[in-house]
Amino acid sequence: MVKIRLTLATSLALYSFMFVSSVACLVFQPDLGIIAPVWEAALLIATLATVISFWTAGNIPRNKARLLAVGLLFSIAVLLLVFTGTLYPEFVIKRPLGMGVSLGYSFILSGLIFVASILGIKDAINILYGYSAKGREVLVFLAIRLSAVLALLILGGILFTIVYKGIWVISWEFLTEPHRRLGQSGGISTAIVGSLWMVLGAMVVSAPLGIGAAIYLHEYSRNIKLNRIITIAVSVLNGVPSVVFGLFALAFLVTIFGVSLLTGSIILGLINIPTIILTSQEALKSVPNSLREGSMALGATKWQTIKKVVIPSAMPGILTGIIMGVAKASGETAPIMWTAVTFTATPVQMIYGFIPNVFQPVNNLDYHLLNLIYFLGAWDVEANAWGTALVLIALVLGTNMLAIIVRNHYRKKISW
Amino acid sequence: MPWCMDLPGMRLLHEIEERSIEAVLFFSAIASIFVMLLIFYFLIHESFRAFAEVGFIPLLFGEKWHSAGDIYGMMPLIVDSLIITILALFINILIGFPLAIYLAELAGPRSKAILKPAIELLAGVPSIVYGFLGVIILVSYLQDSLDMLTGRSILAGAILLGIMFIPYLTTICEDALRAVPSEFKEGSLALGANRWQTIRHVTIPAASSGITAAVLLNIGGIIGETMAVLLVVGNVARVPSPIFDIFDQGATFTSVIAGEMGEVARGSLHYHVLFAVGFVLLIVVSILSIIADLARARIRKKFGGY
Repeated sequence: MVKIRLTLATSLALYSFMFVSSVACLVFQPDLGIIAPVWEAALLIATLATVISFWTAGNIPRNKARLLAVGLLFSIAVLLLVFTGTLYPEFVIKRPLGMGVSLGYSFILSGLIFVASILGIKDAINILYGYSAKGREVLVFLAIRLSAVLALLILGGILFTIVYKGIWVISWEFLTEPHRRLGQSGGISTAIVGSLWMVLGAMVVSAPLGIGAAIYLHEYSRNIKLNRIITIAVSVLNGVPSVVFGLFALAFLVTIFGVSLLTGSIILGLINIPTIILTSQEALKSVPNSLREGSMALGATKWQTIKKVVIPSAMPGILTGIIMGVAKASGETAPIMWTAVTFTATPVQMIYGFIPNVFQPVNNLDYHLLNLIYFLGAWDVEANAWGTALVLIALVLGTNMLAIIVRNHYRKKISW
Repeated sequence: MPWCMDLPGMRLLHEIEERSIEAVLFFSAIASIFVMLLIFYFLIHESFRAFAEVGFIPLLFGEKWHSAGDIYGMMPLIVDSLIITILALFINILIGFPLAIYLAELAGPRSKAILKPAIELLAGVPSIVYGFLGVIILVSYLQDSLDMLTGRSILAGAILLGIMFIPYLTTICEDALRAVPSEFKEGSLALGANRWQTIRHVTIPAASSGITAAVLLNIGGIIGETMAVLLVVGNVARVPSPIFDIFDQGATFTSVIAGEMGEVARGSLHYHVLFAVGFVLLIVVSILSIIADLARARIRKKFGGY
């Protein structure tokens, strides 16, 4: 551990405080009345402390001063701007360079303090480690950790916001009743049921095709060229934007089946094929060859080996792929918005009570949410939109979590 | 009873079963090629009329997109998509790449056990939910704090997409960093380099083709992402003036298709033009996917296994 001097510790602490508070002010945009003088004092003291510790630290070559100069000049410039009154509370940069934006006092000051604090932390840590390679390592790792924290804060914030806003809307009525008055009241039952049928249909289409393709590619195919072509086709198919799938369905499937549950299921199934092929292939790869050889040596045919030995061993991986496919299919909007759904409040029609009529359009959670977003300004639907979003991500993340649990469970259990 | 296995009829039956199953599996394997060809066929077929009527060059590089007047030129879409993609990629790499380094090199087993599944989970959040949050939170934040005319802007789209694709970039980059054999790193550390110097000069260069593949796949994803962009970008197809005005409203390939396809008459010129936009998008994304695939094949050759 490096011994740290009091002056340096002061400047590091002040810079850290400025960093955290300026980020908070940039995000929450509060009134800067109280914090601005604190920032000014902190910046002044921290800058002085940095300079003092640079001169008193014995182990730093003097030619490193030019590295210090950047941060120092920036801090001085900020201090000058504030103390000369150039940057006052009503200050605003109106439409700079003709851009459609105005930068106000609070935004500029928070931004400047933010930059100054980053430069300051950099200088302070460099002085602490005497501008050595170790100092650079500490700095970079600090930056990496910070951006990891930032990413988690963003992503965690997203989940928290949805759960926090949506949880109050969820009730038994919300889940089991159709919507009324364009989604302003009532629930989302038709959307939930429609989503479930569509995803089920998508899995019926994609699971056999995807798993079959993976088995062929990994167990049968000896033609390397064909393998390569199929692999490229799969990766291209994996990258095709969902809206293009929507266009394809509109030009092809809708002309045959009409705007219907069937069209939606087929197109979502096609979107899912690459996911299932790729995960199933990984699963088959992890089955050791000795198992296959053992089975073959006992006189089993190739298909018997695959059916009785390979597929059961690869089942957890294949299952993971299928569950991930469910999650993916339930989150797609663009491919089905003109080809399979309507904003309907009538439940899915059943034939004999248990087979859905696949030739009629249904409602769907994603599409329901899209419509509520479109109505946001005009009608009071925000609460129901949060509720729908919560149900949707609960469905998607729940299935994803299931996939992760299944995978981790078997990864621990199976060791060849 | 070993003799019954040798019955010629039994063997024939097995033979037939084996062959027919192989045939079925073969067809499901070439199904993806078939689907790919079908998609290309239908997009070319439906966009043909647009290219024929408007003209190839005017449609691709025309500077005005004005659907009410039946004037179609994709230049605004190209410019806006390009700006959004570059900005989003910048945000995406700035946050996602350090996160990948953290996961692959720095994180302890316990924080990794929490972080990795969390990131995988977040990759599954549907884009419509991101769009909803973008409308409610991001757009109103920009509108208030930057005093913009409307928060729906190119910038909003770029920020939203940048955040949305962090999990994808992180997952693939982390795999690439992890695929670098530990002998490389140990050699570097043994020579006296510290951990950062090792990451900077050994691990990242060795993983560069994987990182390239990740970035290319992410570009493809960002260009192709629809719902989130549709809701926050404003959907006004014009080249921003001045060109760096990211606070202006814009429209991308995907947002134009998703925003306008619902209202066009089937078979009209507008309908075919939207297919042409989709076709251009498909070509761009397919090229990116193929290059990314080649880059990944190169890693497999270099280190064996991925």
